[in-house]
Parts: sequence; C-alpha cells; structure tokens
Amino acid sequence: MEFRARDYKAESEAHALPRKRADGDPLSAPAVDIVEDKGEEFFDPLREPNSNVVGSLDTEDDIGHPSVVVSTEVPGQENAKREWTSFKRFLMQRFPVSKMVSISAMSDGILRSGKGYEKLSMSTDPDELDDSQKFSEEGIRSIARQEYISRLKEFKEKFADAWQSGDRVTSLKLAIKVAKLLTDTSVGQFYPTLFVLATDIMEMLGDMVWERVKQKAEYAEDGTFLCSLPASFRADDVGLDAKETCNNWFCKIGSVKELLPRIYLELALLPCWRFLVDQPIDSIQRLVMMARGVADPLACSYCRLYIARCAQKLPSVDTGMIHLVSIASSGLRKLLESAVVEFGLGNTEAHGSNPSISIIVHNLIKELPVDMVNSKTIDIINLIECCNDYTLDQCLNYRLLGFRLSESKYSLHIVTVVDRVIRVVSQKDMLDEYLKVVDAYVDLIFQNHMDDHLVKILDGISKRICNKGMVGDELACLQSILVKLLSHFKNLEDIFSLNHFLEILDMMYGRSRMIVNMHILDKATRGGLICDPTTIQLLFEVSQALNDSIDQVNVRDEDLQQPARMISRFIDKVSYGADRERHLAFLVECRRAFGSTNELKETLVHSSNSLAVKALIERKNHLDFLKSCIAFSEVTISSVTALVRQLKLYLETAEVALLGGLVSHSDGLVQSAISCMQSVDLVDVSRGPTDADETLNFLQKICGFLIILPGNPEKGAVYTPKSLFALLNSQSWMTPRMRARICCAMISLSATLSQKNLPYHASKSGIPSNDILFYGNSAYFGELVSFSEEVVRKLVDAIKQEPSPVARGSMALEACNCIALSFKVS
Amino acid sequence: MSPAMEIKLSRASRVYRPSVEPLEGKIIVKSTSSVSHYGIRLTVNGSVSMKVRGGSAGIIESLVGAVKPITIVSKSIEVKPSGKIASGTTEIPFSMMIRQSGDDNHERFYETFHGANISIQYLLTADVMRGYLHKPLSTTMEFIVESDKAELLERPVSPEMVIFYITQDTQKHPLLPELKAGGFRVTGRIPTLCSLSDPISGELVVETSVVPIQSIDVHLLRIESILSGERIVTETSLVQSTQIADGDVCRNMTLPIYVILPRLLTCPTSLAGPFSIEFKASIVITFESQLSKTHPKSDPRTPRLWMAMETLPLELIRTR
Repeated sequence: MEFRARDYKAESEAHALPRKRADGDPLSAPAVDIVEDKGEEFFDPLREPNSNVVGSLDTEDDIGHPSVVVSTEVPGQENAKREWTSFKRFLMQRFPVSKMVSISAMSDGILRSGKGYEKLSMSTDPDELDDSQKFSEEGIRSIARQEYISRLKEFKEKFADAWQSGDRVTSLKLAIKVAKLLTDTSVGQFYPTLFVLATDIMEMLGDMVWERVKQKAEYAEDGTFLCSLPASFRADDVGLDAKETCNNWFCKIGSVKELLPRIYLELALLPCWRFLVDQPIDSIQRLVMMARGVADPLACSYCRLYIARCAQKLPSVDTGMIHLVSIASSGLRKLLESAVVEFGLGNTEAHGSNPSISIIVHNLIKELPVDMVNSKTIDIINLIECCNDYTLDQCLNYRLLGFRLSESKYSLHIVTVVDRVIRVVSQKDMLDEYLKVVDAYVDLIFQNHMDDHLVKILDGISKRICNKGMVGDELACLQSILVKLLSHFKNLEDIFSLNHFLEILDMMYGRSRMIVNMHILDKATRGGLICDPTTIQLLFEVSQALNDSIDQVNVRDEDLQQPARMISRFIDKVSYGADRERHLAFLVECRRAFGSTNELKETLVHSSNSLAVKALIERKNHLDFLKSCIAFSEVTISSVTALVRQLKLYLETAEVALLGGLVSHSDGLVQSAISCMQSVDLVDVSRGPTDADETLNFLQKICGFLIILPGNPEKGAVYTPKSLFALLNSQSWMTPRMRARICCAMISLSATLSQKNLPYHASKSGIPSNDILFYGNSAYFGELVSFSEEVVRKLVDAIKQEPSPVARGSMALEACNCIALSFKVS
Repeated sequence: MSPAMEIKLSRASRVYRPSVEPLEGKIIVKSTSSVSHYGIRLTVNGSVSMKVRGGSAGIIESLVGAVKPITIVSKSIEVKPSGKIASGTTEIPFSMMIRQSGDDNHERFYETFHGANISIQYLLTADVMRGYLHKPLSTTMEFIVESDKAELLERPVSPEMVIFYITQDTQKHPLLPELKAGGFRVTGRIPTLCSLSDPISGELVVETSVVPIQSIDVHLLRIESILSGERIVTETSLVQSTQIADGDVCRNMTLPIYVILPRLLTCPTSLAGPFSIEFKASIVITFESQLSKTHPKSDPRTPRLWMAMETLPLELIRTR
C-alpha cells in the first residue's frame, strides 16, 4: 500500500466556495412594524361578573324597572348602578339552586301569596301583616324554586299594579311582605336569588316614592308647575307638602315591627331622606348600627351589602370611609365593603367597643384600589395605629400597607409614612415583627432615597439578631430584605461597605443564606472582571459558604447545579491583572475549597489553562509559570470523576502544553488520557449513546491532535497511535460503527503524517513538527504503512460485524471514501 | 244622579293649629243639574269620647259602656246663604276660625288621639239644606289638631335620658331556671321625655347572656285613665312594637333604639281632670326556649318565664 500525496493548500483552494461581498447583513431582521399586541386582559370570573353570560334563571326582565323612570341616581352614579345590576346577575348565577327550596315558617307569606293578596287588598287592618306569625307549625316546608320565583314576580306585578291604581297602602304592604321574606335564611342557596328579586322590588318602591315626592315638590296639587328641583337640591328647596308626604312614608315604614324588613324598607327609601334633611348620611350610620341587631350572619351580610349599595345612591357619601364604597369596584369585594361600611361609619364608636377591627382593617387595605391607598395613606396609618387587637398582629397591617404603597410609582405622603412606620417599628423588640414590617418598606426607602433609614434598619436588624438568633420565618423575611437591597445597589462594593451587612449575612444560615449568597454572586458576576482583592476575598467566602451549604442543605440535583454554576462564573470573572502567580494561588485555594464539586474543578482547569495561555502570549519568564499551571491542571484533572470531561480536559491541557513547547508534558498528558480510557470500567462507559458519542469524538479529536504532536523518537513515531489502536481491541463495548469510525480516523492520521507538508502546525511553539522530523525517513514510512494495513484489516472486520445490512453498507461506503482518499490506487 | 259633595282641606296632612290659624279648604259639589238650596253650613265638632270596658270597671259602667263625652268645640257657620249651585263642578272656598281669642268657656283643644278607650276627634261637616223635597247633602271629614305652637313652652330639645339595666335580678316575675342561674345583663339608655316629632332614640347593649336571645323589642304602651264616677279606670295597651335585635346578637355591641312615634296613636301626655293619657316604653328581651313555642302568640306585656323586661315612663311632648 502506498499513501496518496496531498497538497492541502491547493485542495482547499480548489474546494473553497467563491466569496463575494454582501450588501446587507442577511442575519439582521428586516424592519417590520411590530404592532403591540394588547393581549387578553386577565379575566377573573369571581370578581368581574361577565354580563354576557346567560344565567340559569331568566333574569333579563327582572332587572330594571320598565314602568318607572329612574331619577334617584345622582349624577356620576350610573356606574355604580350598572355595576350593581351586573353584580346581581352574577349573584344569581353563582348560586344555582336545586329544584326545591326549603322554607321555614317565616316565609309563610310566599305560600299564601295567591289568596293572601285578595285579603290584603280588601283590608287595611295592620294586624293582617302579622299573620305570617300565626304559622305555628314546626319544621321546614318546601316549595319549588320556579314557583317561588314566579310568586315573587307575581308580587312585583301586583305591587306595580296597585301603585299605578293609586292604592299605595297595598303596594306598601306587598313590599313589606317581600321584605319579610328576607328574614328566612333557611332557604340556603336560594337566598342570593331571593335577595336579588326582593331588592328589585325594594328599589322599585324606592323609585316610586321618590318620583311621587318629587312630583309633589315640583307641581302643585292642581297640576301647576311650581319649580324644578335641581340635581343637587337641598331640603330647604322642598315644599312642606312634599316633606309631609315623605315623612309619612318613613313613619309607615317605621311602624314595621320586624327589624330586618324595616331596615330593607328604609334602605329602599334612603334617597328620599334628601327631601327632609341635608345630611342623609346620618341615616346610613344609624342603619349600619341597626343591622348589628340582625344576628343571622347570612341575613346580616346581605343586609350590609344592600346598605353599601344604597349608600352609593346618596350624593354626599364622599365623606370619610364610605367613599370607598362608591369607588371600590365590583363583585365579591362588595361583601367586604359592607364590612367597611360598618367599620368606617362606626369609626369613633367602634374603636372602643369592637375588638376585632384589625382584621377588617387588614382586608380593607388589601382590597382598596391603589390610588385610594395613596391618597388616604395618612388616614390609614392612623387607623392602623389605633387598632391593635388579637384578631391580627398590628405589624401585619403595617407590612401590608408598605406593599400596597409599593405598588404605585409615586405617593404624596410617602416620606411621612415611612418616617412614622420606621419610628413605630423601631420600638418593637421582636426580630420577627421588625423584619416583617421593614421588609415591606425597603423598596420604598430605596425609591425615595432615604438612605439614613437604611442605615437605621440594618442597625436595628443586627441589634435584634444579636439578642436572639433567627428562625424560619425571620430568615425568610431577612432573605427578602437582603435580596431587595442587593437588587437596588449597582455596585457590590457599596453593599459590602454598608454597616452591619456582612455581620447580618454571617448570622444567616440554611437555605435563605444560600439564596442570598447566590444573589450576591449573581450580582458580582453580572458586571465586568472582579479585580478588587477584598471583594474577591469576600466573594470567595460567600462562595465557600454556598458550596458548603450545598452539602448541608438537602437539595435536589438541579438546585445543586445552579450554585456551582454561579461559583464557576465568579471564578471566571476573577482577575488579578498581571499578577498571575497570585491568580494561580487563588485557583489553588479554590481547589481546596471546592474540591468536592466536579463542575468547579473543570472551571479551575479551564482557568489555569487560560492563565497559561495568557502568560504564553506575554512571553516573559513564562516557562516556570507555565509548568506550574500545567502541573496544577494535571493534578486537578486526575480528580475529576466524569470520564468524558476528564478526557477533554487532558486534551485541552495537552494542547496548551504543546503550545508552550512542553512536548514531553503534552505527550504525557495524551498518554494519561489514553491510559485513563484503558482503565475505564466497561459498565461505566456504556452508559448511554451520548457518552459513547463523546468518547468517539474525543478519539477522533486526539487523532487530529497527534498530527501536530511530535512523535516520540524513543518509543517510535507511531507509538501513540498504536496505543490508541490497542485501546480499540481492549474495549469490547464499542459498537462496530464506532470502531469503523475510529479506524477511519487512524487511517487518515497515518496518511496525513506521511505527507511532506502537514495541513496544520502548532504555531509559535518553535518546536519541530512531524514533517520536519520524519519526512523521508523510510523506517517511519514503513511503520506508518504497516500500521495502516493493520488498521484497514481491523476496519474490514468491524464492518463485517455490523448486523444491519443498511448500516453495514453506509459504513463500507465511509470506509471506501477514507481509503480512497488516503491511498494511491495501485 | 244626585249631586256629590266632598270637602277638601287646604292641607293634605289635615293638620291644623286651631288658635292661630283658620281651617281652610273648599267644598266641592259635583252635579249634573243645578242645585237650589237654603244655605250651605259648615260645622266643627270636637270631642273626647271615652269608653270603659272589661272587668276593670264596675258592673254598671260595663253595662253602660261609655262615659259621657266631653265636648271641646261645637261651632257652625254659614258658608253660603240660600241660592243655587250651577251644574258641573262647583268649588266653594271657606275659611273658618275655630277658636276665637275671646272664647274662654271652651275646653282645651286637646290634640287628636285615637286610643283604645279614649278618642279625641275633630270632625268637619258640610251640609246643604235643600228643603223637604230633596235629601240634604252632607259630608264629614276628620281633621287633625295639634297644639298651637304659640302655646308650647320652649322646652329643651335635649331629651332626658335614663340609663337602664336588665338582669335576672331586676325581674319581678319568675324566670326559667337556666336564665336565673346563667344570668344575663342588658344595659342601655332611653329617653323619658321625647318630642312627638322625633323618634325615640337610645341605645342598648347585650353585655352577657348565657341563654341565647331570640329577640329584643321595644314596646310603646299607652295608659289611658278615665274618671268614671268616683273611680279612675286605667287600662294599659300596646301601641306599637319595634324589634331591636333579631336573634342572638353579638355581645357588647351597641344597638341603636330608634322608634318612630306613630301619628294619631300618640299625643302629648295629658293629665286632664276627667281623663289622662300617658305613655311608657317597655324593653322586652325574649330568650330562646322550647317553652315559648307552646305559647306562640301572647300579649307581649305578659311576663313569661323566658322573658325579661324593663318598663320606663315616657313623657311625650309637642315641641316647636
């Protein structure tokens, strides 16, 4: 066999594609107008009832009053009304009812509605209204849901009819009857529906009375027009006659014995208070308090809900807390609002007697719209200050306020508020409370550049930790504070120089500490090189703590990788400038510290190699240093446990060594790699296709490297390729395809080594390459040829072993290609 | 068709103050043909009628049933001399001073009151005399008298509040053993002097109660006393109930007492010679009990084992 002579230069020129300058960068994106996609708004079905959904009940005609022109609305309250309408629809859909509704004696009115009406219209005896109480039978009855609803509708029609025909007494009596139905909460899931239908009738009554009184105020008895009431009329604008009528209505309602219906009816007429007094808000206050007398929680909640709704109808409700009701938006929040009404209005009195205000305040702060929180901050903080009861830890309210304030960009009173909160919190001795509050304000402090507070806070924290260590919650809180602090500062040095920062960090432990450490490293490695020795030392300690915590904290694999990656990044970013010895010493230190982590050792080898290359480039006194680097790498590599990585690192270091002219080192490293492969446990390598592929890659790559690595004159020029070939025999796990590929690579290697001019050289090393050393040496040629023959035989064997004919074919083709390239046709 | 007649007063509320203002309004006659008459007269009659009933009175009185009414005012004027009323709708305005400043022999003008045994009523009657061939036309309407503002003392509006407390120990009647043993305490404030135009407003707090509360009500009671011969017959009756708490309400929570005084059924507390009208407010706590279910509807004033109460006098006045 004879090797084919090749002219690599000519070949590459012949095969190169013609090159041409391009006008534009084909990779840069063409200028396209990107239209901002608005995206679907987040839709929370619980909060915003969708008005398009058709409910289980046909409510369309129920809502809105066909016969009456509604004018009770104060301008600007249209929204509130719409919202209420959709809320009602939502309520009915939210609570689907089974077919039957169970009712107690209290709902007797509904059972007798048919004939009851006849009786009612005949008689004006007020006692008639009480006769539902005659119902003395114990136990629950039931009525079909649909029937209940249709009876209610019937009530409504009769009510409207009676009113139209001027029979207001009957109308009122019907309304009272409906209101009384609301006392019966045994209807369970039907209650919301009942509430909606009943309040519909209430509102109808309210509108009708309003219209009637208004008409009395605007027109004389004989129909002559007197005056038109302005939208914001005062009680003085209303004539005596109209007042009298209005007062009469309130008197009639006042005579209803039962509490709950009385409240509902007065709520229905609530806007009419405007005809009598200029401060109808007082009535709301009284009604809210009256509602306390309703002990049934369900009835009471709905009653308060209705109070909230009716309060919206008053024009002057923007005073104090009740304002919340009119602006806070929709849905379930309403129920809370009703609680707010109670609390906001009963303000002065509640503080003394109501011990469970904290929790309400908490929910209030939580649910208020951001701008509201901002504009009422001072009020809110006053409120928090004065309610400290067992329902909720006061500091949680401070904390929540802080978070709410952080939601908006700018707040009017922010400085005052933060000052106050910090003052208050500095009196708390418990670390837990202190941290909880402070955590919420850290961002605000940064945003508003209140650096002196930061100093105070760190001081406070450190003082409190010293007194008494930290436990779970506190750690988590402190972690959050420190992370915020880290993200605020641009410069890590600034953070380290903060008083107490390191001290506090030192006292942390466990997972929280790990997270903070990771944030520190992340911060450190995001910028450029890290040159300051103090910082490096601090970061090294941080890394060390992090690395140690990997062992201590029970972490999952993926958790483990991230800290290692962080530390790697940090090692990469460290720079001692020209002081490479110091850098290498640092790497040594690192190896001692992080010796347990494979990934880090790999990074260390890369670092030391790159240090060596840098020294090489500078070319002064480099040889000793180079040797130390190579030695460092070699020692480090031997402790790396992952085989493939180890092989790659060996090769990399061998390349660096060769680059530095250390041929024997390089040769030694390659030999180490090969012997390392030989010693590999069979089971170990056959783990998976990736590992096998990587090993194949490595072997091919080493063949490529052997071209420039000068042959060992003592052991023979083809000693290394031969030991590689021997590997092939000893490794029984290799697939025929792998063997064939490796054989091809070896054939190509032999063919290349036989050339007069090698396709590439180890540049700058100044060491003679194989072509210079051996070209023309017939013994060398002979060795190459005989080696190739052996390999070709092996190749043929390997191909024959392949069971699949298709794979065998393609392998044979590959082999032919390789052989045809390497040998002369004889 | 015979002609129809009605009286329409100038005020829809029909409330007048007799000594300072005239009773004004119009008589409306609707007729398809013209009506000739011998004069149209208006008559005002005001009286206190009293009846004594039941076992509280003596046998004779109970047989007689009624005490002779007291006339407050009886006055008649001619609105129109004899003449003819044209066909269609005719309105005849009138204005009548019921009480002249010179008339001292009249009774006091008590305010209108519709009680159980005492009724103070003022009626205005219009009569059209039409000779023998035709039935006279007549219509009557009640109007309401309130005390003249000028007569009222300028009383302090601030009501006199009294603090009450109701416990198992303040009860004069027997209580359920569990109530007696467990104990309860309800306190509050309520006025003893109240203007008729204002609601009774006070407050109430359930401080403790071992037995759950079913209801707390404020009953407005009237006490009517009638001088019948040598004896004074007194009867107390319920005017109005107002529920303050429905169910077992939260402890230590202030509940407002807010009771609007019903018109006509109340009047200023009056202690006249032959009769007197007084009022009381009674706070009644009903506790949950199986026993109460066997007595579903009883007079709320009757003391029961499962009830506790406190009754306080309430002086009602007319203020400016």
